[in-house]
Amino acid sequence: MASPITTWEGAEAVFTFADKPAVVFGIFVLSVIVTVGVIISTYKHENHSYIDYQE
Amino acid sequence: MTEMALTPEQLQAMIEMSGTINMEVFYWWCTGLMVIIHAGFLAYEMGASRLKNALASGVKNILAFAFIIPTFFFFGWWIYLAMYGGFIPDFEAGAGGVPWLSAMGPNIMDNGTGIFWGAFVLFAATTASIFSGAVIERIRMSSFIILAIVLGSGVWILGASWGWHGDGWLTTKWGFHDFGAAGCVHMVAGFFALGVIINLGPRIGRFAADGTPIVIKGHSAPMSIIGLMLIIVGFFGFLGGCIIYNTGAQWTTIFGTPTTLSAVSFNTLMAFSGGIIGAYFITRQPFWMMSGALAGIFSAAPGLDLYYPPLAFLLGIIGGVVTPLADKFITSKFKLDDAVGAFSVHGVGGLIGVVSLGIFSGYPNVNGPDVSFFGQLASAGVMAALGFIPGYVLSLIMAKFGVLRVPPKAEIAGLDLVEVPLEAYPEAVPASKPDNSGTGAAVTA
Repeated sequence: MASPITTWEGAEAVFTFADKPAVVFGIFVLSVIVTVGVIISTYKHENHSYIDYQE
Repeated sequence: MTEMALTPEQLQAMIEMSGTINMEVFYWWCTGLMVIIHAGFLAYEMGASRLKNALASGVKNILAFAFIIPTFFFFGWWIYLAMYGGFIPDFEAGAGGVPWLSAMGPNIMDNGTGIFWGAFVLFAATTASIFSGAVIERIRMSSFIILAIVLGSGVWILGASWGWHGDGWLTTKWGFHDFGAAGCVHMVAGFFALGVIINLGPRIGRFAADGTPIVIKGHSAPMSIIGLMLIIVGFFGFLGGCIIYNTGAQWTTIFGTPTTLSAVSFNTLMAFSGGIIGAYFITRQPFWMMSGALAGIFSAAPGLDLYYPPLAFLLGIIGGVVTPLADKFITSKFKLDDAVGAFSVHGVGGLIGVVSLGIFSGYPNVNGPDVSFFGQLASAGVMAALGFIPGYVLSLIMAKFGVLRVPPKAEIAGLDLVEVPLEAYPEAVPASKPDNSGTGAAVTA
């Protein structure tokens, strides 16, 4: 279950998997990897784009 | 009727919750207004670019905003909370910004973290956009993204923790006061940009063989000028985000000193006006008039809560006069190509602001010594170094590895053609290769 709560009574952190720290941390790490991955992909896209424009 | 009456405790709880929600509403709309800053920077940079680079400059600017948001979530907010004492973190204070803990997401018992995080993200993105304009038309996108992240989610927020935080060491030790973030936002971003453009070098054609500067005109001055006005609109959200909403009590600055939005209204508008007039006096042209408006506000920003309004006006005039001259000076003397004058407007404008409050001060602080000339001057030095050193060192390393700048042939061809699968004005001036495919589609790299 993604929901950390079964009732709104007394609820605090209600975001998905808030009661499962390992899952939260895993999603966090995945989002970091995706962010870094897109930067690497940008670097590769540039190198590909520059092939016809080298000296 | 007596059964319907509220107890004093219930009434108190209602008032407090009403205040809490008003606080959220206030910062929500400040954050929304700050997005207009980025609409402004987008138009400003695209207009300042030549037609062949208009969209690449837009992509770069949009990506700066996009990458700042997650990275500020990953580590930026933690830096702000934990690093106020210098380089040694306070892990206990930083716990509220650890990205996998309970405060950093929807939490029914926490109305503050997300809304303050959001406002600070927009401040962060502003620093990256300031830097973005200086390096248009020749920086590699991937290197730019990394530099923007370092600035927007690392360097400036460290400066904010030191000098724009109630317990920041610049305030508690030196009495630093900077209502409108002229130091941590504008000086840090401006000096970071300076450090990068030294290693990046000028655009091809920016200087003649004998070193004489040659003006490279952007493809749409009106777009740039309107963009600058949009930045000003957004700055009302920015400056609103610089004031602390206290339920049932007077506004305070981020340093805990009492103030009012009325004070900020007086001085922001007077400094804005002064900046335009000063820049008009010295340049007679609208690009610098609107840049002067920004410089005028930055030149008074540290004391927007304190100045007599005509003094803010005069400081605005000084900012409006000095910044075009500063840009001319670094261009002609050091052969630096700051495509939009980001260093002079933000770096020099912010410097004028921080030091000026040292001249016209003596005000008491809540958590530190009185505001003083020494405190402001020394803090300005810290902010300048904090921006310049990382920008210079990181871009130097990138330049050494050959990843800072696009190849010369690509720069000459134009980055829209080389990198962006879209044309800015396909029915006007062709920026793409001839279409030999027979499909009618533009052929782009």
